[in-house]
Amino acid sequence: MSEEAGAVAAVAVPLDVRITLARSAIQVIADDSGCDLLHIKGAAVDRSLRAVVASGTDVDALVRPEHVARLDLALRAHGWRVYSTFLHGSPFGHAQTYWHPTWGYFDLHRFFPGVRIPAADAFAMMWAESHGLALPGATGRVPALEMQATLLVLNAARNQMRDSDPVARWVDDAGLERAGVEKCVDRLRAHVAFAAAAGELEHFRGAPDYALWKVVSQGGSRTAEWWARIRAADSLREALLIAARAPLVNAEQLEHDLGRRPTPRELVAGMIDRWKRGARELAGSRSPRSTS
Amino acid sequence: MTAFAPADRVGAVVTPDAVYVAPLPDGPILVLEGTAALVWETALGSSREAVAERVAAATAMPIDDIRAEVDGFLERLVAQGLLVVAPAGRY
Repeated sequence: MSEEAGAVAAVAVPLDVRITLARSAIQVIADDSGCDLLHIKGAAVDRSLRAVVASGTDVDALVRPEHVARLDLALRAHGWRVYSTFLHGSPFGHAQTYWHPTWGYFDLHRFFPGVRIPAADAFAMMWAESHGLALPGATGRVPALEMQATLLVLNAARNQMRDSDPVARWVDDAGLERAGVEKCVDRLRAHVAFAAAAGELEHFRGAPDYALWKVVSQGGSRTAEWWARIRAADSLREALLIAARAPLVNAEQLEHDLGRRPTPRELVAGMIDRWKRGARELAGSRSPRSTS
Repeated sequence: MTAFAPADRVGAVVTPDAVYVAPLPDGPILVLEGTAALVWETALGSSREAVAERVAAATAMPIDDIRAEVDGFLERLVAQGLLVVAPAGRY
């Protein structure tokens, strides 16, 4: 038995097992550093909402905004490396992705796309109604059931190619009352994103974030996405920051594409390419108007 | 009366093929296969004496042939901080 019993082998760990243990590892780091987080998506979703048990490909958690910087430091101290930053990860700037050689990927969410109340208020609301989640070697917390369903529908608004009727899937088929979920949407002021998921976005044509959700849920050019982000910004300062960033090449994306850190020459080439693409898209979007 | 239990800050996932055990939060993930997995699963909630007996029964091997090996492996798991001896009923 000894050889077999001593098998602490360097074999491949199944993805679902690795993610399950990664979730525990992240929870322990959060506990040790005094950070509050809510587990979302994947295996953290209540089983009553999941027709098929799927663990996903990474760990996702919503972190109390005031604790994000502290958790970032704690994660780095435990060998987690930033894979993509808030600025370059998505059009919303909501999540930062970390990677660890043992645990894999972790998406740290500082807010949830589509939620229009302040991130700290949204987290506090969800935290107050959260409940425990048993993890191997740790205990985490998850949002209340209706809130989980709401977040899943909002998330699906960004993945409509994969999930054509998220309201039916996460609310109706799960046996939840729509009124309960609509109450969450009201409290989060997430009406536009929810409408995008439900295929009713046109009801919100005048909303500041209408264009952003139209691009995100239905596709659009890079330029359209940047304009939509600027229009959806909560303040002039945020809009100016987005505008100032728009022409910059996404160095992280370039690094991932190249499989190595880009050289200064490649960064400049990427920036020029981005300007040219933006100019072409602008020219393309203006030409129909000039002929009418 | 005492029994084995996972140590604090140790995560374990049992699958049909193996038991995956990890000290948290830094790892690594240890893979226990075959009899090693059987010993882990049997140990939880069991006394030291009972583990060897149950493993012997499960593998149809004479207990005297395996007791030393099983005890040695349990010692190793305790020494690595993966298992603890706790009051029975904790696990």
